Amino acid sequence: MSTAAYLIGLGIASAAALLGAVLPARRRLLGAAVLSSAACLAALAGAGDVLVSGHAFSLHTAQVLPLTGVDLSLDPLGAIFVVTTAVVGLAVSCYSVGYGAHQTPSRTATAMLPAFLTTLLLVPAAASLATFMVAWELMALASLLALLTEHRRRRETRDAAQWYAVMTHIGAAAILLGLVLLAAHAGGQSFAAIAAHRRHLSVPLASVVFLLTLFGFASKAGAVPLHVWLPRAHPEAPSPVSALMSGAMVNLGIYGILRVGEDLLGGGELWWWLVVAALGVVSAVFGALHAAASTDTKRLLAYSTVDNIGLVLIGVGAAGALAAGGEQALAGLVLLAALFHLVNHALFKGCLFLGAGAVQHAAGTRDLDRLGGIARKMPATAVLFGIGALSISALPGLNGFASEWLLLEGLLHGFASHSAVTEAALLAGVATLAITGGLTATAFVKALGVGFLGQPRSEGAGDAREVGPSMLAGMGLLAGGCVVLGVVPGVVLPALDRATTAGLAAGAPRAVLPGLGLALASVRGAIDPALLVGGLLVGIVVIWGALRLVPRSADLRSPRRAAAWGCGRELQTARMEITATSFAEPLQRVFADVLRPDHDLEVTHTAESRYFPEAISFHQRVDDAIERVVYRPVMAAVTWWGRLARRVPNGSVHRYLAFGFAALVLVLVVLA
Amino acid sequence: MRTGAELDVVELAAGIVLAGAVLALWRKDLRALISVLSLQGAALATVAAVLAVHDGDAGLGVVAGVVLLAKGLVIPGLLARVVRADPGSRETAPLVNVPASLITAAVLVVVSYLVAGHLTALFPGPLTRLAPLGLATVLVGFFVLVTRRKAVSQIVGLLLVDNGVALVAFLLTAGVPLLVELGASLDVLLVVVVLQVLATSMRARFGHIDLDQLRELHD
Repeated sequence: MSTAAYLIGLGIASAAALLGAVLPARRRLLGAAVLSSAACLAALAGAGDVLVSGHAFSLHTAQVLPLTGVDLSLDPLGAIFVVTTAVVGLAVSCYSVGYGAHQTPSRTATAMLPAFLTTLLLVPAAASLATFMVAWELMALASLLALLTEHRRRRETRDAAQWYAVMTHIGAAAILLGLVLLAAHAGGQSFAAIAAHRRHLSVPLASVVFLLTLFGFASKAGAVPLHVWLPRAHPEAPSPVSALMSGAMVNLGIYGILRVGEDLLGGGELWWWLVVAALGVVSAVFGALHAAASTDTKRLLAYSTVDNIGLVLIGVGAAGALAAGGEQALAGLVLLAALFHLVNHALFKGCLFLGAGAVQHAAGTRDLDRLGGIARKMPATAVLFGIGALSISALPGLNGFASEWLLLEGLLHGFASHSAVTEAALLAGVATLAITGGLTATAFVKALGVGFLGQPRSEGAGDAREVGPSMLAGMGLLAGGCVVLGVVPGVVLPALDRATTAGLAAGAPRAVLPGLGLALASVRGAIDPALLVGGLLVGIVVIWGALRLVPRSADLRSPRRAAAWGCGRELQTARMEITATSFAEPLQRVFADVLRPDHDLEVTHTAESRYFPEAISFHQRVDDAIERVVYRPVMAAVTWWGRLARRVPNGSVHRYLAFGFAALVLVLVVLA
Repeated sequence: MRTGAELDVVELAAGIVLAGAVLALWRKDLRALISVLSLQGAALATVAAVLAVHDGDAGLGVVAGVVLLAKGLVIPGLLARVVRADPGSRETAPLVNVPASLITAAVLVVVSYLVAGHLTALFPGPLTRLAPLGLATVLVGFFVLVTRRKAVSQIVGLLLVDNGVALVAFLLTAGVPLLVELGASLDVLLVVVVLQVLATSMRARFGHIDLDQLRELHD
């Protein structure tokens, strides 16, 4: 049953892509959206069945791909990724109806979104090298085209697409190299054959394979220092595509690391996972810092994705390290937390990207310094964005809290492990969780406070109107998911437990006890978010009621009204309010060595005296330090090499002929 | 298997083909180059004709006729028309001077003997022993293409390569199918016509047929 539902889902999604391209302009958007929603529901049913029953399915057909055929198999580990993609995809499909309605949707746009979705659903089910690489490259191609659909004539968009294409191709090449090396030594290209042969692999070979694939998957997941495409591609892509990229595609990088490292290579060495955890620590801190300093909403969200993927990588790395040390129970707990955080990240980041898209759609800008006052114009969007922002800041009662609590518990209990190196890594992980928690809260206080509260800072923000019901429904679905998983996380934990067991090579015992709250099975620790939320609500009601009962003074009975956040001033204007740049300024000063902001201050004096400035203009850019230090020199070297090579073909026919002649004689001499 | 006289003739003709290629490196007068080409064409036709007589193969006889007609008469005739339009034009300053070219040609002949060892080992015989001559002709022709400036010299270089290929084909396979030889001859004829038109229009536009000056068209 699960096989049929999953395959039907894939079929409908492809049909949606086809119909998006051929339907007449008026029906195109709705047709593609309805079909891709149906596809997501079918895939959800299929993968959900695998998760609930715990029975994997697999099938092989010699058709479609020549020589190798297609192998599909969905175990609980893959199913959790399909389910996540399907939920985000459902919300995005719904949202895309309203998002695309303001203009005649182009064929490419309506076709590429379902096509991207199809490939996202396909990758976790690929069960052989050939199938996996084809699905992986189709996903890269579809996402690249989907990225380009909206503003393809803008220079920034083309730049972003170029960065993304280069990074994803380098990554895919590394993955292909690693997997081919693995298949060549494992005597088969199907994952089952490779996994059966894993004991016979030599450690150096397995390490090379792991590092190569880790490079590729980390570049897809957006781990520092391979993250440079994220802060470019996510802001420039249409918001539904950003949501899918950030909510579903980067997850597949994590999936690849787990599939190759644990399933195909069988867990491997301790240091592999310490490398993964180190990547996670760097990504989390770097991403959170840049998110706190960004003033572009979607750039902020993109850096926050780097941050959250970093947390997941810390979990994956810690789980692998603990498993390599033989601590299966703790490894299971940490991996469960990491997967839970991945699912939660998909929900709240999807919701936030859709919200940012709604604001951009209504106000015409995504620059926080030009927004403001959106909450009054778009109350529903503001509430949904707010739920996402509170979730990502890990406030109790929402899903971010549940998974970060689990992760923290797992890391802290891991101190009991017997390896000093692992303990040091766990300690670094705990410290990272602490610092990123604070930085993330800063970033989202800024996004909510500056973007949604206060007064409008531009005409566009002042004229913003609430978006239509389909867009709100899309955001609402994801925000609802955040609340449900935050209050009763127990409903998904059994499914995650199965995925965790499938994800670790040696398996893992049950990590959490059944129930609606979070109760750890192997170590002491329990918390019930539902009780927490209930207590909080009761407390609020009690305080509110008590305040009503207390008699008020005369002043409070006739209060003077002033603009919110205006400190009671009568003539509050938008120019007097705090901006995103100034909000982030103290933090930027503290971390100036990492962020390296470029300031540009221009003062024009009056003609009469130098003591009286006429105008002051201030510009600030916060460039990516890693891009500047690592990528710019490499690009400069490549450009220099390219210039050098251009001198060789100088237009002389004789020189070109001489190349051919020299090559011919050389080949002949080598043969002789 | 073959009578001595027939083999002698084939050996002599093959030698003439290679000698013609080396001659093309030596002579600067474009009219002399064209005479070299028709000499080579005739030698090739002789090789084909002797093989045809020996094997009693009428098809190969027709090939010999076609070769004589195309490579011995028509193509040199066409080239002569290009040269007549620009009398006194010489390959004045080749990129590699004549003595150096001749030494290079000697090296190329040695290389082709080294390489052709593999070819002759496949089917040892008195004819395949001559294959290095054809290969050397190809290499020397290519060398003419690389080092000579005038458009006509370039065409001659190309035809030398083609003649070398034809010689190797005759010697190794003992007879090219008629259809293949006809097709190849037609191709070469077409190339010569195109190059002739190109050279004529080059002269009309730039006042010379010196390929080196085309460099300005780059970028």
